[in-house]
Amino acid sequence: MTRRLSPLTWVVGALREFVALIAVAATGLAVGGLSTGALFAVAALGFGLVHHVVRWLTFTYEIHDDRIELRRSLIGRSAKTIPIERVRGVDITASFSHRLLGLAVVRIDAAADGDEGVLDAVSRREAERLRRLLMRPGELDVEPDSVIARAQPSWYRYAPLSGAYLLTPFALLGSALGTLYNLGDEFGLISEGSLAHLGDNVTGVSPFIGVALFALLVAAMPVASILVFTWFNWDFTLRARDGSIVAERGLITRRSVSLERRRIRGIELHDNPLERAAGVVRLNALITGLGDAEHRGRLLPISPHRVAWRVAEQVNGPFRADLSPHPRAARRRRVVRATASPLLVAALAYFTGPTWLVSAALVAALLGIPLGLDRYRQLGHASDGEKLSVRSGSLRRHQQIIEHRAVVGWRLKQTLFQRRVGLSTLMIAVGAGNGSYAALDVDPEEAIDFASSITPAWIKPFLDAH
Amino acid sequence: MLQWGLEYLLGSLTLTGLAWAAAAWGDSGDWTWLPSFLDARIWWSPVIIGTLGLLLTLAAPVWRYRVHRWEVSSDVVYTRIGWITRQWLLVPVSRIQTVDAEQGWIERILGLATLKINTASHEGSSHLTGLTAHEATQLAADLARRAHDLRDDAT
Repeated sequence: MTRRLSPLTWVVGALREFVALIAVAATGLAVGGLSTGALFAVAALGFGLVHHVVRWLTFTYEIHDDRIELRRSLIGRSAKTIPIERVRGVDITASFSHRLLGLAVVRIDAAADGDEGVLDAVSRREAERLRRLLMRPGELDVEPDSVIARAQPSWYRYAPLSGAYLLTPFALLGSALGTLYNLGDEFGLISEGSLAHLGDNVTGVSPFIGVALFALLVAAMPVASILVFTWFNWDFTLRARDGSIVAERGLITRRSVSLERRRIRGIELHDNPLERAAGVVRLNALITGLGDAEHRGRLLPISPHRVAWRVAEQVNGPFRADLSPHPRAARRRRVVRATASPLLVAALAYFTGPTWLVSAALVAALLGIPLGLDRYRQLGHASDGEKLSVRSGSLRRHQQIIEHRAVVGWRLKQTLFQRRVGLSTLMIAVGAGNGSYAALDVDPEEAIDFASSITPAWIKPFLDAH
Repeated sequence: MLQWGLEYLLGSLTLTGLAWAAAAWGDSGDWTWLPSFLDARIWWSPVIIGTLGLLLTLAAPVWRYRVHRWEVSSDVVYTRIGWITRQWLLVPVSRIQTVDAEQGWIERILGLATLKINTASHEGSSHLTGLTAHEATQLAADLARRAHDLRDDAT
């Protein structure tokens, strides 16, 4: 059955423009008096409304057994056909005005050049119906809606640790100043004289206030970070529903991302040293062929260790092996790598540049030692018969747990330096996530054994020739 | 080998040319920000680049030829490349998604081709250069057929 989008769609569009219109009308009023302002507003509203209604009239969609077709026939005719098989995920987003009217925007992610099908907007119920039809579950997968995990409000306090949104106060201040300037310009408040006057005023102000303002901004950083993080991740809920995992979040704009369970090939845990100290970690799913993996694959925002591992087990199955450490030589290599560039900078700075750079670089080099040691400690790889895991990194540590069947190839890399100390890097080509995960600085023999244990059939023919 | 030699030759000629042009420009103009010792020796750069380029053109292809290997067993493609950094790549035929045989203009003159193998992961993709055109097209067809036969839905 061919359907149109919800008629309320153009209400949403009109509403959004209405707000902008108020500003335009106000300007019109200020500039030319009541009649001009009213004329501006009515004309703009009229055009906007016509535009939205026409767009609504000319867009239709139809869902068949094996595909969904989105058709727009305005001047040229365009039809987008998405086979249901290729649908990787369905996003349902509802901004504030959408929510008011009970609407939602449906985004269909298929494996076709990143071009997604967008239905803006349909009623909430229709959105759910579409999602059910598009994320077609297998016969056995029908399960009632169950919550896997729900983010606790107390976790939001960890937001500043990840560095996310820290610069918000500065960004807000910048845009506020910009807007004020533009408005002032509109209303003729700003002129050569007034700017010069302002400059005098600002420089006349005591430096104490400047420092105080800066300190205030810096103090606001973690607070702003928490606030913005909460805004985006409000009530983050992870659900299992009919063979897919659904992640919902958002305060004003509610966004719901669904991923087919059968496309999940593994999970990834990230953290940085601060988060490690606080005992929290971020969890992502590794999906076959997923575009925007960073955000779409998010299973949990920042959350305590225990919860993350529990969810990982529920989504991907338990992992029953301990990571085995890498050879001693790797430790030296990690430390050397961490200290080499600062030392180089220090050397160059000694000959050409300022002395402060030399001391700064030397400090960085000194800090490189514990960094290198930690990097070595975090290195590890393991396999438990069904899944493999690799871990590396310190400032940005990540651990992946990947199903064996997702491996599509192996690459063993050995640089000149690695050759001399008997190490190599095993890169695992995976048909999921970002495609490639590495076990750094492993012994080459061990790497081959590892690969053999996972895909014996591929390695055996070459063991002798190698 | 010849193909690589030509490629390197062209590459280094271009670089030398650019360096020479840069030197000429620097000499004629007045680059006050350049430290004095560099300025006096600005004609060194094209000479250095030219010499390095020549060495590269003579030595690299031979070395690469000796190190670059590939083998296709019944079910797995094995490639060994790299001279300073070595890489061994193993890709099972069942995971190959596309196989392309391509010819750059040098390759066409010399009758050679490059085989590009793509898998679901960027990591697992490889290029086999230096194959004869005939070999390459045959291998491409062969691999594509076998990949189709062996395909199972893992990705």
